[in-house]
Formats: sequence, C-alpha cells, structure tokens
Amino acid sequence: MSEVDTQRELREDLADKRVGIIGLGGLGSNVAAMLVRTGVLHLVLADFDVVDESNLNRQLYFREDIGRLKTEALADTLRRIDPDVELDLIATRVGEAEIVAIGRRVDVLVEATDCADTKALVMNAAAQHLPDLPCVAASGLAGLGSANTVVTTALTERLWVVGDLTSDVSTGLPLAASRVMIAAAHEAHAVVRILLGMVEP
Amino acid sequence: MRIELALFASLEPYLPDSEPGSGRRTRMIDLPDGTTVGEVVARLGLPDQPRVCFIDGRGVKEDATIAGGSRLAIFPPVAGG
Repeated sequence: MSEVDTQRELREDLADKRVGIIGLGGLGSNVAAMLVRTGVLHLVLADFDVVDESNLNRQLYFREDIGRLKTEALADTLRRIDPDVELDLIATRVGEAEIVAIGRRVDVLVEATDCADTKALVMNAAAQHLPDLPCVAASGLAGLGSANTVVTTALTERLWVVGDLTSDVSTGLPLAASRVMIAAAHEAHAVVRILLGMVEP
Repeated sequence: MRIELALFASLEPYLPDSEPGSGRRTRMIDLPDGTTVGEVVARLGLPDQPRVCFIDGRGVKEDATIAGGSRLAIFPPVAGG
C-alpha cells in the first residue's frame, strides 16, 4: 500500500466523525486545524470572543483577523485547508446546557478554553451528563517547562487531561506558542486515536 | 464506611496520612455513612478553586452522597489555553 493510499484510508476512517471544540484560542484553533488536516470534516466550534492582537502569539489567527469573531476567522482558515469541511459555528458564551447539547451531537468533545472555571464547567458537564462521551481536556500548559512534561492523563475511562496538570497561567506564567501547541497536538492526537477506536493511556 | 480517595495535581499534598490506596495519588479513608462530596472537601480543607469530582468514574455534584467501597476522585483544572 502506498503512502497516498495509507493516508486516504486514514481520511476515509475519519471523514464521517464529528468533533465538538469548546474554546478557539491557543488550544482550540490549533486542534481544529490539526483535525481537519488529518481528515476530520465535521466540527462544531464554539467561542464567543473576537480576535485580539494579544492572541497572535499562539492562536491560529492573523493580523487581518483582529476584531473578527474567532468562529468566523477560524472557519475561513479551515476552509482554506479543506473546502469540504462542514462547520457548525456557535459564537455565543456556552453554559452547561449548551455544552451538553453540543456533546450529544459529536463523537468526541474537546475542552479547549483558557480559564479554570470554564475548564471545570466543560469537564463537569461532560462527566456528569454524558458519561459515555469521550472528552479530552487540557490543564497545565503555561510557562517554559520541558515539553516532555506535557502528557495525556486518564482521569476516568472517558475523560483525559493533557498538560503537566499544574502550570497555571493565573500565577503569572507566560503562554509560549511552542508549549501551547504541544498541548494542542496532544489533544488532537488523542481525539484521532479515540475516533479510530484506539485506547488512550 | 471506608472509601478510596484520589486527589490530583495541586491537591495531592492534601491527601491524609492514611493507608495507601491502589494508586500513587490515593489513600483509603474512613467516613461516616451518608457523607457527601462537599463534606469531604471541607474535611480535607481543600482550597476554594474550580474542581471536577468523580465517584467511581462518573462526574458528580458536591451534594452527592458517597457509598462505602466507592472511589472519590477530585481534579482541579488550572488556567491557560
């Protein structure tokens, strides 16, 4: 089987899968792009915010996107990667009910928000109301600690957390594009493996 | 009743000095029957921060009652993304 055939088979296996991403910042924007590049073509993308200049250090947006809704700006970029991608854009702040509604429509839910309260909201919504839905979250990706300390940890049989679990941006640590994108890549890769029926550690 | 307690990440130092459980972050603890998750949080003196609580792998609110023999796990997410 050629490399092209192998890639085609992977894309065919992922083409009908649906992934929901809550938060389109440094994690979510990069997770979405990696999933589309790998072959996931149905995404539900939720973020209420607009692109700010301060986002450009790590998020998949460009100077001309400043002031645009993140959902709209990211949708344009994803369609440039693959015009066949089908996107459901939610440009409002989501609460528990909306998170559960999104979760019911997807095969995997990704927590990709930036504050601890919202992370807990998404993880609690999934763990309490959708116990059979795989959910991949992130916690502990701030600062300049070793890339090797960003790992994927199973909290339950359906909830995984990516990060070193402790590096907290609210303590004054910076957000470096390299480490944030490592965490995003861990999240995206965990999603792909879950969608393909593999068992995450 | 006796349960297994698991505390993750920054909460690990709050594990009581009791019999180890099945994992590195776990301890066996004795509680009165009918204890809720919130009462365990208060008893351990956990900081007031966002957290996710599970009983036997299922997410629960803090008013949930813990049954003997079950496993209570608490995870505190931190900011950044």
